[in-house]
Amino acid sequence: MEKSLAELNKAASRSTSSLPPEPVDIIRSKSCFRRVRLNVGGLPHEVLWRTLDRLPRTRLGKLRDCNSHESLMEVCDDYNLEENEYFFDRHPGAFTSILNFYRTGKLHMMEEMCALSFSQELDYWGIDEIYLESCCQARYHQKKEQMNEELKREADNLKDREGEEFDNACCAEKRKKLWDLLEKPSSSVAAKILAIISILFIVLSTIALSLNTLPELQGTDEFGQSTDNPQLAHVEAVCIAWFTMEYLLRFLSSPNKWKFFKGPLNVIDLLAILPYYVTIFLTESNKSVLQFQNVRRVVQIFRIMRILRILKLARHSTGLQSLGFTLRRSYNELGLLILFLAMGIMIFSSLVFFAEKDEEDTKFKSIPASFWWATITMTTVGYGDIYPKTLLGKIVGGLCCIAGVLVIALPIPIIVNNFSEFYKEQKRQEKALKRREALERAKRNGSIVSMNLKEAFARSAELMDVVVEKSERPHDNHLSPSRWKWTPKRATSETSSNRSFNAQELGSPSKGRPTSPQRLNVQKLEEMYNQMAKTQSQPNFNAKDRVSRVGKQRDEIELGAIQDHGPPVLGTREGVGDMKSLSSIDSYISCATDFQENPRFLHSPALDLGHQESNCYSYSPATALSQHASAKTGQRTAGEREPMLTPVPVTKSSCTETARKFFFSGNSSKSLTPKGGCHSEGESGPSPLSDSSVMSDHSLLSPGTSVYTTASSRTPPKTPESTTLAPTVFTFHDSSISKYIDADTDDDEHLRDISDTSPSERLLASGSPKRNINKNYQRGANHLEAAQKMLGQNCLFPLEGIRGITHENHIGPEMARRPKVERGRQNTLDKGL
Amino acid sequence: MWTVPKPRYRAGLCAEGEIAVNIGGVRVVLFGDVLNRYPDSRLAELLNCSSQNAEVISSLCDDFDPGRKEFYFDRDPDAFKCIIDVYYFDEIHIKSGICPICFIKEMEFWKIDQSVLDECCKSYLNEKEEELKEIASKVKVILEDMEVEQCTTRTQRCQRFLWKLMEKPGSSLPARVIAIASFLSILVSAVVMCVGTIPELQVTDADGKPVEHPTLEAIETTCMLWFTAEFLLRLASSPNKLHFVLSIMNIIDFMAIMPFYVVLSLTYLGTSSMMELANVQQAVQALRIMRIARIFKLARHSSGLQTLTYALKRSLKELGLLLMYMGVGIFVFSALGYTMEQSHPETLFRSIPQSFWWAIITMTTVGYGDIYPKTTLGKCNAAVSFLCGVIAIALPIHPIINNFVVFYNKQKVLETAAKREVELMELKSGREARRKSRN
Repeated sequence: MEKSLAELNKAASRSTSSLPPEPVDIIRSKSCFRRVRLNVGGLPHEVLWRTLDRLPRTRLGKLRDCNSHESLMEVCDDYNLEENEYFFDRHPGAFTSILNFYRTGKLHMMEEMCALSFSQELDYWGIDEIYLESCCQARYHQKKEQMNEELKREADNLKDREGEEFDNACCAEKRKKLWDLLEKPSSSVAAKILAIISILFIVLSTIALSLNTLPELQGTDEFGQSTDNPQLAHVEAVCIAWFTMEYLLRFLSSPNKWKFFKGPLNVIDLLAILPYYVTIFLTESNKSVLQFQNVRRVVQIFRIMRILRILKLARHSTGLQSLGFTLRRSYNELGLLILFLAMGIMIFSSLVFFAEKDEEDTKFKSIPASFWWATITMTTVGYGDIYPKTLLGKIVGGLCCIAGVLVIALPIPIIVNNFSEFYKEQKRQEKALKRREALERAKRNGSIVSMNLKEAFARSAELMDVVVEKSERPHDNHLSPSRWKWTPKRATSETSSNRSFNAQELGSPSKGRPTSPQRLNVQKLEEMYNQMAKTQSQPNFNAKDRVSRVGKQRDEIELGAIQDHGPPVLGTREGVGDMKSLSSIDSYISCATDFQENPRFLHSPALDLGHQESNCYSYSPATALSQHASAKTGQRTAGEREPMLTPVPVTKSSCTETARKFFFSGNSSKSLTPKGGCHSEGESGPSPLSDSSVMSDHSLLSPGTSVYTTASSRTPPKTPESTTLAPTVFTFHDSSISKYIDADTDDDEHLRDISDTSPSERLLASGSPKRNINKNYQRGANHLEAAQKMLGQNCLFPLEGIRGITHENHIGPEMARRPKVERGRQNTLDKGL
Repeated sequence: MWTVPKPRYRAGLCAEGEIAVNIGGVRVVLFGDVLNRYPDSRLAELLNCSSQNAEVISSLCDDFDPGRKEFYFDRDPDAFKCIIDVYYFDEIHIKSGICPICFIKEMEFWKIDQSVLDECCKSYLNEKEEELKEIASKVKVILEDMEVEQCTTRTQRCQRFLWKLMEKPGSSLPARVIAIASFLSILVSAVVMCVGTIPELQVTDADGKPVEHPTLEAIETTCMLWFTAEFLLRLASSPNKLHFVLSIMNIIDFMAIMPFYVVLSLTYLGTSSMMELANVQQAVQALRIMRIARIFKLARHSSGLQTLTYALKRSLKELGLLLMYMGVGIFVFSALGYTMEQSHPETLFRSIPQSFWWAIITMTTVGYGDIYPKTTLGKCNAAVSFLCGVIAIALPIHPIINNFVVFYNKQKVLETAAKREVELMELKSGREARRKSRN
């Protein structure tokens, strides 16, 4: 491990410190070796150049033709001419099968590969999926179709949710409340009670309906016809009144009237109410002619339609809904079942007719008459009103029984499969929704703080321990950056204007503030604790989002006052941005946990956070990142191999007005704090390890605007604000965030904190003293990074002076594939939060 | 096995009697005597030819590094790690994740016989190969369709056109219309057959016997004419007549048409010749039953029915099992029921064959109630027979269902796979052609 580390360092220093190699050198190197070493995500491969020539238009084929540094960098991520090694920052598992395609001409797919991820890899390497061998193709397309279907369903769900916007009309607030009350039983106690009452009314009305037909309870009207029992009629009227009221309220509060009208559940509601009114209308308008049989019959039909109200229960039962959905989805199989049955009935009824028709006094008078017998026999009901009597008829009957059992049993497992799949999905969504709502609620009333206060304090104490320890051996620090440096995988394809960067730069107010963790002594921590307690005692300080935002703004303004070049206006804006990012982080976390829960999302290419109103772009190289992450950790940190998801969404607003960005790492082994990143950068200064400039750029860009949350390590990130003015606010937020994570990720979490808390804290501790010195340096990096961004993607930029390697993010394919769904979801989440 | 020296990965220079190979970047040092256990394999050949003959070496491996005495192979290292096991354990297991078809290719490259593959992996391989065969057959069908354009003579082209029109409803709009018309005529004729038996709709002929309504008769005749025309066109246009005649679908078609003409000729003969009228009537009756066969014609238009027939064909063994279980159960329980009911004076079980009926109805849980036990012992027997019947049906039915579900799910996937395979072949042939033209 050490060795490979050294090697890579060497490679890094080559590409950063020296000039790019001349084309002559590259050509010479290529002609020197017959073979080439390909390092894909840390896994070395060796292949003949000749082999790569077989597919000249793929990425590896192009590698052969590239003779200049720039074109080479476009194709691969890094290379080393002396070692004849080319590095690609991709999933090593998929590459094995792709390389075999060059060797054998047969493209097979690794069994355990996710089809979606594999297709992305194929895109990256420039190979068409059509080359996939037929043995693997079936599986591949099956999975892909499945995936697409699920994404489509997800999109529909999101569209539904997105439709719930209340910003268009009057008294939106109240309508939203009413809507929540009526439509979301889990949103509050009142809503739950309302739902239960509604269920009770449904049950009551159905019971009344059935009791009404009992002859003992019926009365007779003037024509001698039986009428309703007066008591039961009252019950009926009350129930109908309730249903009507409910329906009308729902209709009034619904955000989209037409969609509401169309919704299947609401159609059922309407059908449950309407018959009553139609009956009343008919009887009242035809009072004089009621004796006519026709009117009576119509009324009877409408009375029967009242039974439809039992379907109203579907609103309150997921099971019933999924049953309905299953039937809708498997109409193909249902059709098959009916076809089988129909054919069986046809065949056996005609057979039994011919067998039995000569019998005297037979009930098999014609083929249609024996349909009934065949149906009853095939479904093995067997009333016994018709049965064959001749020997031939009995043989036919026996065959009919067995065939019926077979034919009915065949298509049912497919339907059952559909049902169970949908039911599982429904359950999952329900859980996710509940979690999100809980998050919202907890955020609203800030109740989580009180629970977490003690824990937060304990954590701060831990931090202090580390601080003390670190101050004793400060030379350990240089190890840390190597750990962090791979984290900031980000989209280099981001297009951002320099202006926004400047704004951010300006907006990073407390960069120059010298704060050292050594000052964080016990006294200070106790102070923090007290402050926290105070915060908690002031319920309105963080009780509401708005309030907290106000508080934040105040903080920001004060910060602006402290440092000279930060205009207060910017500060305020940052405050807003900060809130946004915080809320998005929350939503992101909930999102991410969803993904963790659901394995198919592990490779989901899109985890992005979008802000609607600032129409910002967000890229999420999630797949690539997780692959990078696992590979890199494996290479670099011997101990901390955690091949887990590293969703790193980077939201970049191109608008100059709301120039903010945040960065959030959900990974444990790479949980980072912004300052930590840049401090370590400064600390290790010109050392070859510091090619993590991107990350430091990140951090320096926006101490105020960016919030780096360590998703798993519960370290409260020490943003500059926390040291200057109100540490409480941030610890507060963070602890709450981490608490959410606690609640959400449950089991994964505990594994992680053990190994991860310490490094991040170490970083925190070690970095701070140098902040002052690094200021200018970081500025420079900032500009450079901006330039670098404009240059494009897939490139390795040797930034002079700064050893910054932007590790390529081949975001193109992911972006193209990224379902819009995800953004939509984020949007709604942001809205909701 | 631990006595056999293991291969050394990433070792230094090899000693005497050892051979260093580099398989796609993974360097392995192997012992010569171990490799010689399979003298036909590529590695053993490489060892034996030694380093004298450069040509032989380059034919065996892709690259040779004389300095490090390292042979380079441009192959999959993962598969090699599995294949090398054969020298130590005499058997190979496919590493999970590697496609077995791909693995077999690797084994061929290393010149190792497929028989050393272990049983556990062989079944998996067979499964895949079967799938491939199915895809291949589908591809063949598609390719056959595409060959239409290559017909030379005019009659042949006509025949092709007709064939497509009749057999491939997806090929053109007229073909689709014909398919729908044929489907509807099947339905109509089936309905007519059923309705014709209703006594109220029948009319009496001169002899006072009920015969079908003339309107229904006319419809029936029209349908039959349509069927006949369809069948004849199909037969005329089929490229392989023998194949056509032997196929099940066409036999069903023939069976659906044939009774009509036989009845027609019989009635004609019956009235004109001396044949006895009663005999003719009986024969006509028997043939009428065969008209039911036309319902099976629906199978041509429904993939679900085809799947069903396929599943039933595949699970003939299980069906036999089902019938055997039922048969045994029926015998046992009817005999038991008969003996136990003997004590009752007004028993419904008059003989064992008669109680067969009761046993069937009970075991399939239909229960008409025309025969039922009256004694206590008989009732206990009925309960047991009912339980046994449920089990006897449920057990063999499961594999049948499984077959059906698997095939049902696979059908669509295979279809798309076959289509893609054809595309790939086109692509490859196109590339080949381009390469040739370039050369």
